[in-house]
Amino acid sequence: MRKLIDNDYLTLLSRLLVGGMFIYAAFYKIVDPAAFAKSIWFYHLVPGKFINLMALVLPWLEVTCGIAVIIGFWHRGAKLWANIMLIVFIAALGSTIVRGISIDCGCFRAAKSATHSAWNSLWFDVVALVFALQLLISRSTRWMLSAR
Amino acid sequence: MIRQAILLLVISTVLGLGLNLVSPNKVDFVGKFRDLSSGDNPIVPPTAEPNDPPFIGINEAQMEFATGKTLFLDARNAEDFDCGTIPGAINIPFESLPEGDLGKFFDSALAVPKDHPIITFCSGEDCDLSLHMGRNLKLLGYTNVAIFFGGAREWEKFGLEMQRRKQCGN
Repeated sequence: MRKLIDNDYLTLLSRLLVGGMFIYAAFYKIVDPAAFAKSIWFYHLVPGKFINLMALVLPWLEVTCGIAVIIGFWHRGAKLWANIMLIVFIAALGSTIVRGISIDCGCFRAAKSATHSAWNSLWFDVVALVFALQLLISRSTRWMLSAR
Repeated sequence: MIRQAILLLVISTVLGLGLNLVSPNKVDFVGKFRDLSSGDNPIVPPTAEPNDPPFIGINEAQMEFATGKTLFLDARNAEDFDCGTIPGAINIPFESLPEGDLGKFFDSALAVPKDHPIITFCSGEDCDLSLHMGRNLKLLGYTNVAIFFGGAREWEKFGLEMQRRKQCGN
């Protein structure tokens, strides 16, 4: 098991998948922060005053961590954030299901039209978290800019 | 690890807040979002757009209800509808609208003229199905649509009669 987790190729694959997903997910949020802020509002988890700040900073955290994970620079901090963000996303999405809230999740696009299934996004995030956890515990530093 | 994580957060904060100053799509740093509560004013969700049908509050919804002419349209799924809705409302779950010609579908499902007063609603502030339903009806040519965003929860909160087809939890 340890050998599999530390596998250079698996770790590279995880870096590309997790990093790529975060960068892709951030794109629409950065382009239209107002729409993303509205998506956050619908979760009813963040106090109104802080929603815009979160909508401005969170996508950039996704981008910087995505880049850091892919190029392998400050990758330890980035992997930590990737796991934290995914766990928070899963908890937030899960809470909408438990509370019976019907919303656009705002995960990959700041959606305006049809209601997005929270279940689909939830499963996607869970799969992403598996790769992110592998990254977190993998000792492979091959093909990274900096091993530190 | 923690040091790197803090540095990443600082860089992201500087980028996010800094670029917002020069972005064509910039937003206020402090949001003006309404916290969860209900009052006499119509609740207007932040996703509302200028062309949306008008939003009405509990008072207006109640007045429309009292006319007995307005069609109340519950956009939630059948289970929520059965658990408690505005009396006389009809149920068309927005999430399971059929594929194909929606115009024909609504013509037969609503069975009212295009200028008939219609009020869409769902559970309340944590649900945007009423908004999407209202928008769709307007696009399909219904000219007298309003959205009661406070929904079933606000209706019940103000002590108004609910129609329950079955007993549900809480």
